[in-house]
Amino acid sequence: MTVVALHQVRKVYKSGALEFEALKGVSLEIRQGEMVALMGPSGSGKTTLMQIIGLLDRPTEGRYVLAGRDVTTLTENQRAEVRNQEIGFVFQAFHLLPRLNVLENVEVPLTYAGYSPQERRERALEVLQKVGLGDKLKNLPSQLSGGQKQRVAIARALAMRPSILLADEPTGNLDSKTAVEVMRLFQELNDEGTSVIIVTHEPDIAEYTGRIVRIRDGQIESDGPNPHRKRAVGGVA
Amino acid sequence: MSVSVAGSAPQKVRSHVGGMNPWQVFRIAWRAILGNPLRSVLTTLGVIIGVAAVVALTMVGQGSTANITRSLQSLGTNLITIGSNTGGRGGGFGLVRFGGPQTITLADAEAVQSAFADRIVGIAPTLQSNQQVKVGANNLNATVIGTWPDYASVRNAQPASGSFFNETDLQSRRRVAVIGYGIAQDLFGGQDPIGQRIRIAGISFTVVGVLPDKGDSGFASPNYQVMVPLSTYLQRLARSSSTGQPRVNAIYVQAPDKDALPRLQQELTDFMAQRRKVTDPSEYDFSVQNQADALASVNQVTQTMTLFLGGVAGISLLVGGIGIMNIMLVSVTERTREIGIRKALGAKPRDILTQFLVESVVLSVGGGILGILLGLAMAGSVGQLLRVTPVFDPFSMVLAFLFSVAVGVFFGFYPASRAARLDPVESLRYE
Repeated sequence: MTVVALHQVRKVYKSGALEFEALKGVSLEIRQGEMVALMGPSGSGKTTLMQIIGLLDRPTEGRYVLAGRDVTTLTENQRAEVRNQEIGFVFQAFHLLPRLNVLENVEVPLTYAGYSPQERRERALEVLQKVGLGDKLKNLPSQLSGGQKQRVAIARALAMRPSILLADEPTGNLDSKTAVEVMRLFQELNDEGTSVIIVTHEPDIAEYTGRIVRIRDGQIESDGPNPHRKRAVGGVA
Repeated sequence: MSVSVAGSAPQKVRSHVGGMNPWQVFRIAWRAILGNPLRSVLTTLGVIIGVAAVVALTMVGQGSTANITRSLQSLGTNLITIGSNTGGRGGGFGLVRFGGPQTITLADAEAVQSAFADRIVGIAPTLQSNQQVKVGANNLNATVIGTWPDYASVRNAQPASGSFFNETDLQSRRRVAVIGYGIAQDLFGGQDPIGQRIRIAGISFTVVGVLPDKGDSGFASPNYQVMVPLSTYLQRLARSSSTGQPRVNAIYVQAPDKDALPRLQQELTDFMAQRRKVTDPSEYDFSVQNQADALASVNQVTQTMTLFLGGVAGISLLVGGIGIMNIMLVSVTERTREIGIRKALGAKPRDILTQFLVESVVLSVGGGILGILLGLAMAGSVGQLLRVTPVFDPFSMVLAFLFSVAVGVFFGFYPASRAARLDPVESLRYE
């Protein structure tokens, strides 16, 4: 089953008379259960691509089908709903809400979906235990290490049981040991069937994925399975 | 442990979709406000002060209006007052001016009495001063009024015990006195004052009547008045007057009914003018006013004051609202990233709008509630200071409260809609 299907997607940024074509017709299919690395140097268009896949931005041209539904022309509210239901974001800078504790942070997407307090709590506990943070529920983000913050963010991304996890440089702010731990978590989730897209410019990180898509100058340069897929080892700290 | 979570649930529970419940929204707003308590209080200070001022001023204002109305009504019914007019238009509330030079005389009163005998119910000129009133070792200061026996009916001053002095007392310049309830209480304690002696400015008088409790209505309270025959007053208590006719402070005339008031007022004015041989009203050295005029002018003052208070309320709430809008704009900018995160996690523009709108409404309503409490406290202490019982007016409080809600919505809307319109990509990038 195809989770993400992009067809001839173009993205043009306009600034006054200047036009910049960030994506020059990208077609990409990602199947359920895949773990894909989206690679490319800065300015290549990989971030734009991620924003379009995450429905944070709209393509100028082309078609986008997410989990069997054409999401190319949705209203602002519908896009918010799809982000809520189908996409789990993980950011480089973690992007936790600083005033909310761990449990409440994970509850945020459940809140927007309209779950009752009990359901929210159950779901949040479930995913927090899954990422190994069941004992840090009342901590504020500022009381956590970088690796722990990223795991809270992953739990938050999982809370709505999305079709796809979309991670933008998830290890960019972590030391290499913690980075491996986070990649191990992604691999475990992927083993259980979660589709994962990891945007990165680090070849080391891409090594942990099963398929590597390289972007350059707004086009897909190469796309193929990763023959040397590494398993991340080491305990989840 | 390995419960499959993501992507493995084909039948997602979507029946819940419908956004947050109000309590959740309120909690988010409340936490944001508590996140910076000092700033929140300073932000709402404008609303707090505005609402407090309106509540306190309304309560005290209504209290004193009630006082004035009550004392005007206690003066007697269907009353016309002839007083001195020594410059400009007649005095304020239609009350007699004291202190200025007196221009009306006892002869005026006698002339009115004989000319209008068939058209009026009663007439009583008054001359008054503050005197020391003494019984044994007890003494106090009271307003001593020299007048005629009609005073009892004209000014609604029928004694509760004893009787008012009569025509014979007046003719014979007897030293008899009718005393107010407060004086009887203070100087005689539990004893019956009738027949007892009191000393007014050192001169001995016999108490013949005691007025009922008229309530302590602030100024000119009848409870601390002493009425004596005008003739006795002129002989014993008046400052040695200059030559000519004795002057009086006022002449009270009672009309038979309310309908007769306007016409009688006009006739008395003409009569007084004739006696003085003046025709131009600007040269009148007297004023003739009826009680209805006085009540009307009190009401007019009240209305003006209400309008004025409304203006003060409007301006202070406007200023308070601008303060809230200002801080909300700052807050939206500061929390751009938070807005981006929330949008990425599925918040709709409406959710963000509601969040910030509720925050500004909570701020302004909090300010409104604090303002009402502060206003109640202020009304209490100001009332005590001015010896006015503040009138508790739930209507003005509800109004102030609703106004602060409206201010929160109105001034919160622009910042909130700016927050709602923020582009998620841009706001996630915001540092």
